[in-house]
Amino acid sequence: MTFAKDFEPVYLDHAATAPLDLRVAELMCACLNDPALQGNPASVHAPGRAAAARVALARDQVARLVGAQPEAIVFTSGATESVNLAILGSARAAGAKFRHIVTARTEHRSALGACRQLEREGFTVTWLTGDADGRVDPAQVAQALRPDTALVSLMHANNETGVLNDVAEVGRICRERGLSFHVDAAQSVGKLPVDVEQIGATLLSFCAHKLGGPKGVGALYIRRRPRPVLQPLVFGGGHEGGLRAGSLPTHQLAGFGAACELARGLLPTEQPRIRALRERLWAGLQAAAPVWRNGAAEPSVPGILNVFFPGIEGESLLLALDGRLAVSSGSACNSVSAESSYVLRGLGLSDLAAQASLRLSLGRQTTAEEIDRAAAILERCVRRLRKALPAGAIEAIA
Amino acid sequence: MSYSQRVRELFEQLPRAGALATGRGQRVHGEAKALDRGAWIRFEARIDGGRVVECAFRAWGCPHVLAAAAQAAASVSGMLVGEELPTDAHRLAAELDSPPEKLGRLLVVEDALRAMLAQAHALQSR
Repeated sequence: MTFAKDFEPVYLDHAATAPLDLRVAELMCACLNDPALQGNPASVHAPGRAAAARVALARDQVARLVGAQPEAIVFTSGATESVNLAILGSARAAGAKFRHIVTARTEHRSALGACRQLEREGFTVTWLTGDADGRVDPAQVAQALRPDTALVSLMHANNETGVLNDVAEVGRICRERGLSFHVDAAQSVGKLPVDVEQIGATLLSFCAHKLGGPKGVGALYIRRRPRPVLQPLVFGGGHEGGLRAGSLPTHQLAGFGAACELARGLLPTEQPRIRALRERLWAGLQAAAPVWRNGAAEPSVPGILNVFFPGIEGESLLLALDGRLAVSSGSACNSVSAESSYVLRGLGLSDLAAQASLRLSLGRQTTAEEIDRAAAILERCVRRLRKALPAGAIEAIA
Repeated sequence: MSYSQRVRELFEQLPRAGALATGRGQRVHGEAKALDRGAWIRFEARIDGGRVVECAFRAWGCPHVLAAAAQAAASVSGMLVGEELPTDAHRLAAELDSPPEKLGRLLVVEDALRAMLAQAHALQSR
C-alpha cells in the first residue's frame, strides 16, 4: 500500500483530519491534468458532459459507502456545511406549526451552532444530555418529541470520545412518528459500516477528509422517498437539485469518490485492525497509571481513545509532546480563559481534567510500531511532569 | 501558544525540580496554590550559615509556571537570608518573555517564593 506516510511526530489526530491517501492524491492530480475534464460539469457541451460523467461516478462511489442511491447525495464543502444544511434547511422549511428541534449538548459545534441560530429565529430546542458514558438514550429522544417537532439531530460517533449513539433505534422512533432524523456521521463513515436504510436516517452528513480524501468537500444524504423538504442555504445556479448552488469541483469530488471506494474495500480489515491498535495503546498507557479513559470503551468508533492523566496540566503535556506526538487536547485553546471541552465536562470531568485530556485518534496509516512509540513517549512525558508535582497533586488535579 | 527559547529550555530540563537533596543546614519551605489560576508551587530550601545553599521546587502548571519556578529557584540559590527578594513576577515575566495573561500565574510563583524566604527569615531571627 502507498500512503502519505512519513510523519514525524507520530500522527494520532485522524479524527481531526486523516492524511490524504496518496492514491487519492494521484487520481486528483490526474483529474486536474486531464484536458478532457476541464469543463464545468453543469455545461451541456462535450467537456462539460465529460466532467459531469466524472462527477456522476464520484457520486455513485460516495453513495455506495453509505448504502444510498446516487440521486440521494448532495455535494457540499464539508460536514459542517452538510450539518448546517440538514438542520437549518429542514427547520426553516418545516412550516409555522413545526418549530421544535431535538438534539444533544454533546454534538459537534456545527450542529450546536446551527441549533443556536434556530433558537435566535424563534425555534425551541430540546438539549438532551448524554448518560455517564456519554451516550444519548433513545428513550430520552422519544420523551422529548412533541407534536411540533420538526427534526431530531444526533451524531453517530462522538468526535471527542468516539462513543456511538444508538442511531438505529432513534431512527426507528423517528420513522414511527414520521419525523425527520438527521445523523452527523462525520466520524463514523468509512470507519464503521454505515447504512442509511438500516439507521433509518432521513439526512446524513459526512465528509471526505476524515477518510483519506481531500479537505473542502462533503456530502449530505437526503432520503428519496418520502423526500424531506429542505430550504437551501446557498442560492445561485440551481446546482445539486437547487439545494446547493455553485460549480462542482470535479477533481475534489473525484478524490472524495475514490476515498470512499478505498474505505469501503478496506473496512472489513481496517476496522478490527484499528480497534486492536487502540486497545494496544490503552494497554501501553497503563505504564503511566493512573490514567482514565474518557467515555465508554464500547460501543465506539474504532480509532478514538480519549484519556486523562491525573495530576498533569494540559498545556504542559502538549508542550512536552510537541514534536513527538500530534494529538488533540480537551481544551479549545491554551489561554488562561481556555474553555474546556463541553463533551468531557458532560461526562463529569472537572475543568482541569477536561483541559488536560488528550484525544488520540488512529487511522489507516497507524502502525503497531507507532502505537508502541506513542505509548512510550506519553509514559515518559507524564512521568517527567509528575516527578515535579507537589505532594497530593495527583489526587487534587482529577 | 508560543514559548520563548528560555521557557523551552527550562521546561525541557526542569532544573531544581523535585526533591531537595539531603545535606547540611535547616530546611524551609513555602507554598502557594491557586488551581483556578492554573498554578501550584512549593519551594524548599536548605539554609546554612545564613545563606540559601540549595533550593528546589515542585510545581503544577503550564510551561511558563514550571519555567518561572525553575528560574526563581536558581535566583535564590546562594543568596543571604534577609536580602532583598532577587526576583518577582514581573522580572520573571520579562526574563521568560511570557505573555501578559500569564502574569497571574507568575504572581503565584512569587507568593510561594516569598513564603519560603519569610520562613527562612523567621528561622534566622530566632
